[in-house]
Amino acid sequence: MAGDELMPPQRSHRTRKSGPTMRKKSEIDKKKRGVSDNKQQNPRAFAVKSGVKAKRLQARSAEKEQKRIHLPTIDRTYGEPPPFVIVVQGPPGVGKSLVIKSLVKHFTHQNLPEVRGPITIVSGKHKRIQFVECPNDINGMVDCAKVADLALLLIDGSYGFEMETFEFLNIMQVHGFPKVMGVLTHLDKFKDVKKLRKTKQRLKHRFWTEIYSGAKLFYLSGLIHGKYSQREVLNLARFVSVIKFHPLKWRTSHPYVLADRLEDVTPPEKVQMDKKCDRNITLYGYLRGCNLKKGMKVHIAGVGDYSLAGVTVLPDPCPLPSAAKKKGLRDKEKLFYAPMSGIGDLLYDKDAVYININDHLVQYSKTDDGTEEPTNKGKGRDVGEDLVKSLQNTKYSVDEKLEKTFINLFGKKTSASSERKLEAEDADLSSPEGSDTESSKESQSGDDSDDDERNDSKIKQKTEIHGGRMRRKAIFKDEVGQSDAMVRNKNPNLMQIVYGASGSSATALINETSDDEESDNEEFFKPKGEQSKNIGGGSDVGYVNSEDCSKFVSYGNLKNWKEKEVCECIRDRFTTGDWSKAALRNQNSGAGDDGEDDELYGDFEDVETGEKHHNPENMESGANQNEDAEAIERRLKKLALRAKFEAEYPFLPASFNLFNNKSGLDEGDDDEGGGNNPDNSQAKEPGYLEKLKEELEIRRQKNFLELNDLDEDTRIEIEGFRTGTYLRLEIHNVPYEMVDFFDPSYPVLVGGIGYGEDNAGYMQARLKKHRWHKKVLKTRDPIIVSIGWRRYQTIPVYAIEDRNGRHRMLKYTPEHMHCLAMFWGPLVPPNTGFVAFQHLSSNQAGFRITATSVVMEFNHQTRIAKKIKLVGHPCKIKKNTAFIKDMFTSDLEIARFEGSSVRTVSGIRGQVKKAAKNMLENNAQDGIVRCTFEDQIKMSDIVFLRAWTTVEVPKFYNPLTTALQPRDKTWTGMKTFRELRIEHNIPIPVNKDSLYKKIERKEKKKFNPLVIPKKLQAALPFKSKPKDVPGRKRPTLDSRRAVVMDPEQRKAHAILQHYQLINKIKTNTRKAKEKEKRKVHQAQKAKNEIISKKRNREERRERYRTEDKEKKKKMRRSED
Amino acid sequence: MGKIAFKRVKGSKSLRQRLLLSALSLKPIIIDEIRADDMIPGLRPHEMSLIRLFDAVSDDSIIEVNETGTQLKYKPGTIMGGKNLVHNCALSRSIGYYLEPLIVLGIFGKKPLSIRLRGITNDPKDPSVDTFRSTTLHILKRFGVPAEGLELKIEARGVAPDGGGEVLLTIPNAQRLTAVHWEDEGMVTRIRGVTFSAKVSTDFEHSMRYAARGIFNNLLPDVHISEDHRYGPPAGKSPGYGISLVAETTSGCFISADTAVSWGRTDETGELDVEKEKRNPAEDTGAETASWLLQEIEKGGVVDSTHQGLLFLLCALCDNDVSKVRVGTLSPYAVETLRNIKEFLGVTFALKPDQETGTVALICTGIGRGDLFRKMS
Repeated sequence: MAGDELMPPQRSHRTRKSGPTMRKKSEIDKKKRGVSDNKQQNPRAFAVKSGVKAKRLQARSAEKEQKRIHLPTIDRTYGEPPPFVIVVQGPPGVGKSLVIKSLVKHFTHQNLPEVRGPITIVSGKHKRIQFVECPNDINGMVDCAKVADLALLLIDGSYGFEMETFEFLNIMQVHGFPKVMGVLTHLDKFKDVKKLRKTKQRLKHRFWTEIYSGAKLFYLSGLIHGKYSQREVLNLARFVSVIKFHPLKWRTSHPYVLADRLEDVTPPEKVQMDKKCDRNITLYGYLRGCNLKKGMKVHIAGVGDYSLAGVTVLPDPCPLPSAAKKKGLRDKEKLFYAPMSGIGDLLYDKDAVYININDHLVQYSKTDDGTEEPTNKGKGRDVGEDLVKSLQNTKYSVDEKLEKTFINLFGKKTSASSERKLEAEDADLSSPEGSDTESSKESQSGDDSDDDERNDSKIKQKTEIHGGRMRRKAIFKDEVGQSDAMVRNKNPNLMQIVYGASGSSATALINETSDDEESDNEEFFKPKGEQSKNIGGGSDVGYVNSEDCSKFVSYGNLKNWKEKEVCECIRDRFTTGDWSKAALRNQNSGAGDDGEDDELYGDFEDVETGEKHHNPENMESGANQNEDAEAIERRLKKLALRAKFEAEYPFLPASFNLFNNKSGLDEGDDDEGGGNNPDNSQAKEPGYLEKLKEELEIRRQKNFLELNDLDEDTRIEIEGFRTGTYLRLEIHNVPYEMVDFFDPSYPVLVGGIGYGEDNAGYMQARLKKHRWHKKVLKTRDPIIVSIGWRRYQTIPVYAIEDRNGRHRMLKYTPEHMHCLAMFWGPLVPPNTGFVAFQHLSSNQAGFRITATSVVMEFNHQTRIAKKIKLVGHPCKIKKNTAFIKDMFTSDLEIARFEGSSVRTVSGIRGQVKKAAKNMLENNAQDGIVRCTFEDQIKMSDIVFLRAWTTVEVPKFYNPLTTALQPRDKTWTGMKTFRELRIEHNIPIPVNKDSLYKKIERKEKKKFNPLVIPKKLQAALPFKSKPKDVPGRKRPTLDSRRAVVMDPEQRKAHAILQHYQLINKIKTNTRKAKEKEKRKVHQAQKAKNEIISKKRNREERRERYRTEDKEKKKKMRRSED
Repeated sequence: MGKIAFKRVKGSKSLRQRLLLSALSLKPIIIDEIRADDMIPGLRPHEMSLIRLFDAVSDDSIIEVNETGTQLKYKPGTIMGGKNLVHNCALSRSIGYYLEPLIVLGIFGKKPLSIRLRGITNDPKDPSVDTFRSTTLHILKRFGVPAEGLELKIEARGVAPDGGGEVLLTIPNAQRLTAVHWEDEGMVTRIRGVTFSAKVSTDFEHSMRYAARGIFNNLLPDVHISEDHRYGPPAGKSPGYGISLVAETTSGCFISADTAVSWGRTDETGELDVEKEKRNPAEDTGAETASWLLQEIEKGGVVDSTHQGLLFLLCALCDNDVSKVRVGTLSPYAVETLRNIKEFLGVTFALKPDQETGTVALICTGIGRGDLFRKMS
């Protein structure tokens, strides 16, 4: 950095000492430090007076604190993280691509002609981001929401929010809600500043209600030269690059790849034969989520489930810059990869690198056929071109060819066979560098039965890179220490014996006869076949059917443990023995295992790739040889603390990186002495949460260390492909439509399927109709759900849980309430959210999301019930017993309902007894039941039996195949009843009996008055005789009496009367007065109004006139 | 996905594990050629009984056996668990045979499992119920299975040929199994054991104990072997005696050995089991079992050879973290387990043999089979 010294010294940054910026900054600073110095006006007023209150306050604050805490999750990603996906979403015409272009330009200084597919860029020293433009149809939005780490929601400020934004937000919310930032565009359409400000405010608050108050909303004020202003883009880029992502549950438990490249690798002749044949495709992309295990099935969104035919790790097309200490990125490192947009010039395939050269740049020195068209493919052939082509056509590199010769060394297998082997290997997973001697050797050894033959005269290659030149060192096996070779071979051998090629003799290992250590080593593993032969057991079939027994006992060759010397050999395994020796043994296996491992796997140089594999512990293992398990534990704790500290203060210079191999560990030790930051963080809060976090971190470190010990192949075998690697996924037998209708502007999402998730079953979900969807949902109307990685159509049955735990079917979802939904489909783990749609077409009015929901459990049976009412009529009545017909059709049915209660319309209750086949003399009819009632019923009665019946949930689900048709076509699946009715013009069936009618009742019969004959009257006793009381002619005494008052009474009465009179008069006069007043006021008001109206009109007229004049003036001026 | 893709395997080999792994991984299987060339082809009574047991604890599983019993089709359903279940085990194998898969199944059920198993409790072929109590349940605890509710109660002893034993097994549900780093085998601090005699004199027990102690005396003073003499109904229907020994180490490992002696059971062919013809005297039985325990200790590892398979299975089923365990020489059953695990769960173990101690360190990452079936609270 000599250049730097020559440069004039830069002026240091002058911090603001006053003004609004300073105030704001100091406030933020204070908030960060937790200092609040806003002086209370009257501190005594807010002092704690009541102990109860104080306690309550404390409890409240503690509760709030606890609510803030989340269960820590373990982060199982090691190594470089994949680029973060930034989805740019918005309604059409809002400027999505322009935002991406501007950001790409800002980060890489390159112009992007068009935005198609994911665009990966290196945005910082430790950070890569991938931009994806969200297409406007609902399928694309769903897929984007599933992969987004950050969503930029673009909103047309001049128009306001559109439904797409809210739909996307809702989709994201159910799929785990990644980070969201709003961006307002088209703000230059506002001329009025005040209106602009108002609009911003309004939109911001609306945005906040939807996400959380304080959510970031950006304003892009306008275009300059067809681009957003640089300043604003810079701000946006800063916000984008500092955002932190939190793990989402579904994604951390499922691997997924957002493909940024798709190739059709079907043999061309096959395609020529049949254009519609199933294709083989390869998809490329960064692995995200969790590790992809071998043999995992994947779901390609919009296509279906496939098993991976091959997975290959490719070198990163957009690698992070080297870790050298420097500030910022060099221009060279500002990489940028967008194969679908046709930008990246280099394409790395598994065994080839393609260089994209624009057609006009291709020039041949001389063309054979004289036509000056240099870019024709396949017509004219030049010798040189031929030569080049032939060179290009070689399938294998020089190394591999060499190896072929090596393979020819032993055995008469021709090169063809070796080539086949190589191909097989290719199909396998191999390291990116094509040739690897080691692995080929291994694959060989799988076939070879005898290892000894290999050992004697073998030449190994050792490829290293020295000063830019590749040197292949020939190593004779003999040179290598024999014992070392043995030890090294042991490991793959044991794995091979256990997991060995199934074709070879299935070998199990038995170590039964072993008295001394030496023979143990030699016959450590003995093929099962031999053993069975020894026993005399028979053939292969017998082996297949061998007994299933976990105990493996053969007492025949037990040692005589009664002898002292025999006992002595295991003396140290007992507490009575030598503890130090036992500790050594444990150390060897436990902690000290590493010490031994160092010899085995430690710091060896990989012969195939020429790169050195350092073990992180390796370097210090010499020092740590004597460390016991506790020390390791301590070290791990230390590491954990460090990591935690780093996570808390990510902006500190990353002096320590876990993945800086051993230096990290060393530094960790150093730092422990000097800086005491980690201790501080621990001392602050040694709560349960901290402990839990620490535990998880230790676990993480342990995982990392264990895995680091393994060599690359085994590691992939055990933990799968790591996240962040660039993978090439080969998938066979994909419908040709996927290739034909491939549209790069739609994301290709490849998601891994977890255990049991490819099985279909009944799922029970808690569902709520979206409050913006106009209509309620109907049971058995197909809906389209997006759940997990999948999208499919299914038929739900809605239900609600009664108080007794019964799930009662609902015909329609409740308006504003949750209900249960039961449907059939591929299973997902409980707690997975999903979103439902009715139609996918883009030209729908209104809100397309019909419901949001979360899966609660899955079952293999449904428990939904609905009411059923069986109706019967009596056919014979004997006292309280009646025989009911029409209720059941068979005696079997009756048997099912024995003992259940019945009721007549009139309310007489009864019970079902038995089928009455034999009791009725002549009737041979089935389904007549004997019931008893609490009273005799009538023949005209109707008997009801009220019961519950289970509801079948249709076993139907239909995966959406939106990627197998042109993207602009809407996918149609099963139609709803309503649609079918409309299509076929079928009226809604009406059951006449179910219609409500006016109840017409017969008028009650009027009876004549009762007449009792005179004769009878006379005979009746007095009590029952009708009494004939004649009407009174004279008034009663009561009504006739006169009231005479006392003089005092009279006085009081008079006074009361006077008062009432006075009061009446008073109120009357007051009312009259008020009326008059009101009249006057009204008149005055009317007058005033007229005046003000007049004045206003004049005023306005005046103003308009002047304005018009000015305008005219301006016009005139401008014309001039 | 409309059609069910069955996984096809052959032979009656490791039927238990195949069924278990199929149930856990929800992969339907077809087992062909089950003893197709045998004199008596098809499934044995104990295998049929096992299938019934699987059906009892799960819901909606589909089991089809063809007429000769040489083909078994199994489509797993939901593992339910449940209370008050009763299963009569076939007498051709002891209860240990059924317990081994059942405990794993129980952990991953929807509800805690509580089941009463009737049959033979002790048998030389399978681990005895005493061993389960003393060793196997401890291994489960290592993986984070809650200790409360994890119990095996021996209500009645029963030996071959007529059985009559009864055990009550309760297994709680585990939210998830935690990965283990279990390499330190420690040193044997104490040896515990239990002898039992059913319908025979306690003299047998005394002599077994005496003989076993005689062997341990050279090495360790802390040896306690308790007695369990049964008579009447809790003694089952056949006479027999047996011993189960456990060595406990400083690092909490349990290494066990057991055996039982009884009348031989008649095979389906009508002949007596050949090996059962000669019965050892009680002293020899005690000495043999004790020697076997020492042999197991000599082999090293954190579990004995009988429990290797279970250990690997649990490792493969735990969280997505790395487990590392150390065992002695791999037993054939363990190897078979490793293969089956790879076939069904796709989990490969890295094996690192340790030459000095003759042990093998195994490393794997679990599949994280969490609470797939659990109901959301």
